[in-house]
Amino acid sequence: MKHFEYADEKISEQEILVAVPSILIGVGILALPGQLAEPTIGVDGLISLLISGSLLILVVWLISKVAASFPNQEFITYASVLVTKPVAAILTMLFTIQGVMVSAYVVRVISDIAEDYLFERTPVEVIALCFLLIVVYAVSGSRAGLFRLNMLFLPIILIIFFAIITFSAGIFEVNNLQPFFKTDFTGYLQGIKESALSFVGFGILFFYIALVRKTKKAPKMAAFGMGITVIIYMIIFIVSVGVFGNITSSNLIFPVIELAKEIEVPGGFFERFDSLFFVIWIMAIFNTMCMAFDATVFALKSVIHVKKMKLILILSPLIFFIGAFPEGYNEVEKFGSFISHYGLVLAIGTMFLLVVILKIKGVKKGG
Amino acid sequence: MKRRTLKKKQNQQAEDAFSAELDQSLDENLDNLKKMLDEPDDLVVRELTLGEENHRYAIALIDGMVDNQLVNKNIVKNLQIISNQTQMPSDKNLLLEEIKNNIISVSEIEKAATWDDMTIALLSGSTVLFIDGVMEVLVMSTPGMEKRAIEEPESESLIRGPRNGFIENIQTNMMLIRREINDPNLRFKGHKIGRRAKKKLVVTYIEGIVHPAIVKEVNRRLETIDTDSALESSAIEHWLQDSFLTPFPMMDNTERPDKVASSILQGKVAILLDGTPYVLIAPTTLGNLLQSPEDYYERWQIGILLRILRYFAAFIALFAPALYIALVSYHQGMIPSDLAFSIAATREGVPFPAFVEALLMAVTMELLREAGARLPQTIGQTIGIVGGLVIGEAAVTAGVVSPIMVIVVAITAIASFSFPSYSTAIAFRMLRFAFMFAAALLGIYGIVLVYIMINIHIVNLKSVGIPYSTPFAPGFLRDWKDLVLRVPGPMMTKRPEHMQTKDDTAADKGGTSS
Repeated sequence: MKHFEYADEKISEQEILVAVPSILIGVGILALPGQLAEPTIGVDGLISLLISGSLLILVVWLISKVAASFPNQEFITYASVLVTKPVAAILTMLFTIQGVMVSAYVVRVISDIAEDYLFERTPVEVIALCFLLIVVYAVSGSRAGLFRLNMLFLPIILIIFFAIITFSAGIFEVNNLQPFFKTDFTGYLQGIKESALSFVGFGILFFYIALVRKTKKAPKMAAFGMGITVIIYMIIFIVSVGVFGNITSSNLIFPVIELAKEIEVPGGFFERFDSLFFVIWIMAIFNTMCMAFDATVFALKSVIHVKKMKLILILSPLIFFIGAFPEGYNEVEKFGSFISHYGLVLAIGTMFLLVVILKIKGVKKGG
Repeated sequence: MKRRTLKKKQNQQAEDAFSAELDQSLDENLDNLKKMLDEPDDLVVRELTLGEENHRYAIALIDGMVDNQLVNKNIVKNLQIISNQTQMPSDKNLLLEEIKNNIISVSEIEKAATWDDMTIALLSGSTVLFIDGVMEVLVMSTPGMEKRAIEEPESESLIRGPRNGFIENIQTNMMLIRREINDPNLRFKGHKIGRRAKKKLVVTYIEGIVHPAIVKEVNRRLETIDTDSALESSAIEHWLQDSFLTPFPMMDNTERPDKVASSILQGKVAILLDGTPYVLIAPTTLGNLLQSPEDYYERWQIGILLRILRYFAAFIALFAPALYIALVSYHQGMIPSDLAFSIAATREGVPFPAFVEALLMAVTMELLREAGARLPQTIGQTIGIVGGLVIGEAAVTAGVVSPIMVIVVAITAIASFSFPSYSTAIAFRMLRFAFMFAAALLGIYGIVLVYIMINIHIVNLKSVGIPYSTPFAPGFLRDWKDLVLRVPGPMMTKRPEHMQTKDDTAADKGGTSS
């Protein structure tokens, strides 16, 4: 017996439901309230977030729908059918580049934050390297195992998230949310753009839907997962603006971590909740990075036929050095913003391309 | 490779030579037997004559391994009395048949024609009857070894629950399981394990519940075992397990028949080995690590609370010393200032960094535990008092360690005693040190990285083909009713989904019947 019935390298629809928030919730959310508060007034950013969120739920649904029309086929296979092989290969490579950049960015940000909030003397490189090695260990294992990891960590992440929300009730001020609807039109548009950019990484669903055992419910589940993510983003935005006010929120680099710093945990066990929060949030960031890295390996392997382990060993130093490249906070931010634009354009562009051609060509049933 | 085939051939020859056929002459056979075993002290050979025609025959047995009363009453006496009265057939082969069918009153009796069959039976407690002029012998099963009474299992004591435990005798153990489940579909499939020792091993499961793939896989793996002798069921576990690098138990082991019964009712497979009271249960998953049969014997509320308490204990047992090290040496800011001051005050004068201090105490604790386990019970308690109280107190007074450290280590030790299974406890003991090292190097960042690493390891593990992390992930929501929580008995109507049992319904009152 090689595999027990569910113990193969396939995943269930539930696991897609869990994977989507795991992929998206990570580094982006930490900075989101600040970026969203900047162009908007009061808590108006919520409307932008709602619009961009709804649009992206649709995008995610469409991506999964396209991928699910070709059950158990890899991206390169079905994309070749739709847009010829060279184009499919180019798209795959573009996704690979995105994966490498996302991984590099995540490694960089996590070590920067760790240096800010946890350590004083430990060198950033050591922090980054340790994290990268753990990710390499995870990616070199079973792919279905990564989805199981998502499932193991997501409850812990949600618990700490809701703990923060609950404990911040004491310092939440409704007045901070006002005034309502004072933002001008360009502000809303700006807000839509900013919030859309914080959802990076859902493009890898193009690849992972191929692993789903029964694809029938997969698009619904993926959209549902996206919905959960949007709700979590909305909650954190409201709380952040409610606690700090719009102006302060927009000036903070990582309002969510600052929020954890502000709150007071009853019982007197923890002084600096932000450290604890960040340490647990490492699991969320780990999930994001794992999925990005693994998708990269997955995508690359479909184009270049090299052993998985070799690819990992080639990519990981690359990721490490790209991550070490930007100097100072501004460059890291620019790098992050570039990746967000790149990822969003790539995912939505590919989605439009495939959906349109799929509509023109039509799907052969069971194809 | 070539050498290996050659070796195999030689083995083959040796085995062929060993299973040579028996001789016709009684004297020759007895002579060969004595030569082969080198006339051991406990070999009893009794030569007799039978009937009017004075057929010569002999009984051989190993003293102490047979039930003497059975041999005397049902074999020797029958042969002596009955054969004098009845007309015996003169043909020797018919005579053997006659003796087998009408004279010997032992329920299990077989003919054997090779030395191999005969000696193995003889050495495992059978009585062998040779008749002069016949190339076959009668093997009568008369085992009567000394065995321990059924007692309460010491390593898994419960406050409420059955008090019987397995013993070293496999027949008794099978009986104990049968007594729990008298279902005609209960299966006992026998194997012989070991090149030299040929121990009896039995795989037990319930046909119609268990997924056939599990039974097939367990049997396939059992076939691959190649060892001189399996001394304990752990040897079987080590041959069967999916990964030999992991610190986690890959199979559950228990001395309790009720636990075995409940496991095979859930669609698992139990493996019994002769000579050990520990029965293996496979497959096992993460959820089983912290479950105890007692969770089901008491009310469900306390069942839930105790399980949560055990998860809390697991957290302490794994993380407490590591967190102490991390907080004291890296993240003093995370401790509330009052507490930080009092910790700093108690650490005043302690010459070591927190990690060395913690390591010192943790190793002392392990030493005490090991010493306590090796010593007789009465002295073991003394060790606990001397070690725990005297050394702890003296170390604090001498200023070698801080009192907080002693508290941390003591709580950790107590927490690790609250695991229901010993194999879980030793896994956690080892991992605790990994966390301590990580904390010394990278603070809580290191702790969380090691925690992630262990999770990565777990999601890649399998026990007999089943992912070790089930039913957490891949998630089986239905099975969460009996995982960390435990719903009241009448609500557990289905067998665990993750075992993919062939008969899903465990109880069905008022529901739709299938």
